[in-house]
Amino acid sequence: MNTQIWLGLLSGIAFGFVIQRVGATNANKMARAHLMLEGDIPRFMLMAVILSAVGLFGLQAVGIDNTRILPTSLVATGLAAVIFGIGWGFCGYCPGTTWAAVGEGRMDAVFALLGGLAGTAVFAQFHEQLIPLLYGPTNVGQITLSDWVGGKLPGLVTLVVLFGLCIWLIGKLWRRGNCA
Amino acid sequence: MTPEKNNTVYWRWLPAAFALAGIILFVFATFGPPASSSSYVSTLKGAIQTVSPDYIAEKEHYRMMPDTGSWLFAFVLGMAIGGFVAGRTSPGPVKDIPELWQQRFGESKGKRYLATFIGGFLILFASRLAGGCTLGLFISGSTQLAISGLYFGVLIFAFAMLSARIVYGNSGREET
Repeated sequence: MNTQIWLGLLSGIAFGFVIQRVGATNANKMARAHLMLEGDIPRFMLMAVILSAVGLFGLQAVGIDNTRILPTSLVATGLAAVIFGIGWGFCGYCPGTTWAAVGEGRMDAVFALLGGLAGTAVFAQFHEQLIPLLYGPTNVGQITLSDWVGGKLPGLVTLVVLFGLCIWLIGKLWRRGNCA
Repeated sequence: MTPEKNNTVYWRWLPAAFALAGIILFVFATFGPPASSSSYVSTLKGAIQTVSPDYIAEKEHYRMMPDTGSWLFAFVLGMAIGGFVAGRTSPGPVKDIPELWQQRFGESKGKRYLATFIGGFLILFASRLAGGCTLGLFISGSTQLAISGLYFGVLIFAFAMLSARIVYGNSGREET
């Protein structure tokens, strides 16, 4: 087997372990986060992004630059986010947490995985019709915060400030519930 | 169990965020932006190409993704293994139905499984349209300062909160 497979497997094991330990594979905790009853998971996600963004800035500074910016399509990205949000709030799983929750032994996650495969198969069947219809016309390209605020460092600072503000607000507005 | 005692089952969010960011940076350094919804395409491609290679060859969505012999598939397989190890070594109970769901909709497993099937369908259909999910688009994208990730992130949180509010109503709200 090639190195990439082993790297993927190793990264996945570590990732799955951490998200289980923080409770992100627990659909009850996810529902409580969405209902503003406990803020741990959203703060965990936002903080992980802040730290990763700072770290990636460092990696790029030393010449490790494996980035791939997905384009923004106003209609497709927006509509997809609305559908995704409805589904996420409804079942409490994300595409990634589903795999870890299946490993953990949650039967409802097995059905989320099967539903996910079905959703993927349906999208793949209609890709040729849906992408030109929804994605193409309002695709504004691979824009980043750096383009908006004039430079990579100001872009990073903007992200850190915005996400930091969200973390602070979640700490204020979400209840400090502790149920599992 | 008292809420306080129960909470010790899980790591605190701040140290956990450092751990996750370390893994994300390892992935950026050794592969590229981490992603998980793509693996669903890889899984199907691996399965379908053994019975109908012609279908795979004519569909752009399968042509653009690697099959199961890839980093993407190994990553989610690893996630399941990591989830298994973490679950087995953690004192917390593993339930097939979340407590809040049970309070609201009762103990029917069939009802819950149907709901997660539909939820799974929606999140993956949407992820394939956007080109990524919570990890591949929101977390990876925002880490790279991509507007697509931020735009997706704001809307998924807003609509998940709205959707959970509709699904659960006031369940869980009575506790103090």
